[in-house]
Amino acid sequence: MSGEGEQSHVEPLLARVFAPIEPPAGLATRVEARLQSISQLAADELDGWELAAMRDPRNWLRPALALLCGGAAGAGLLLLGRHQSRRTRNDGESAGADR
Amino acid sequence: MAEPAKTKAQLDADFAELYSAHARDLYSYAYYKVGNHHDAEDLVEQTFLQAYRHFERALRESDGRPLRPWLLRIAHNLAANHYRYRSKHPLTTLDDSSPLAATHSTEELVQGRDELARVIEGVKQLPDDRREALIMRFALGMDNREIARALGRSDGATKVLIHRAIKQLEGVVALAPASHR
Repeated sequence: MSGEGEQSHVEPLLARVFAPIEPPAGLATRVEARLQSISQLAADELDGWELAAMRDPRNWLRPALALLCGGAAGAGLLLLGRHQSRRTRNDGESAGADR
Repeated sequence: MAEPAKTKAQLDADFAELYSAHARDLYSYAYYKVGNHHDAEDLVEQTFLQAYRHFERALRESDGRPLRPWLLRIAHNLAANHYRYRSKHPLTTLDDSSPLAATHSTEELVQGRDELARVIEGVKQLPDDRREALIMRFALGMDNREIARALGRSDGATKVLIHRAIKQLEGVVALAPASHR
């Protein structure tokens, strides 16, 4: 076992000296609880960090742009909707006149 | 091709498996290293917390190799910090005889007609690295290669380390008074 091929008479004694030890039953629960609390702390920290980041005016550009783009897209959709409904109405009126 | 990243649920399941597979080894190592159950529990807990932080990377970089040496390396470094801290902030006298003697009953020690007691005494006299290698070999059943990875040494150096530790212990047992044999 010592890597010399022949086993020393001390080795069986060492196997007894260093008998493996079972961990206490509560240790797994303790580790799990700590891991969960760390995950929760990390999530809270992230939420706090996002809120704090929003207080910095340098971080306002992206949401402002998003708002602008969203607004423009919404207005575009509205105009398109209006345009289409007007066209449908006109088509209906001209079809009625043809008859 | 790179493997797709694991979800948190998958990682947690893998980590739970890692814990079940190695908790006993880590605890045995910690107990023989720090010398009492209280500190051993703390050391194992801290080791797994540290391992959890870097688990994804360790899985990626281990390339399928066992993670036990990595866990032991974390425990080894944390234990070194523990000793540094304890040397600056001693609580009570560290009872260094307890971890080895406590796992054996008086009856067992008497029956072994002190050969066992002498080996225990000899182990206490070993330098840290030799004792650590013996813990890994005999309490955890690790081979030279795994011990080498855990200690950050070459396979050859580890083989020599264990060989010298055993030779030193043979010397201690042989030096005992004849009446004890």
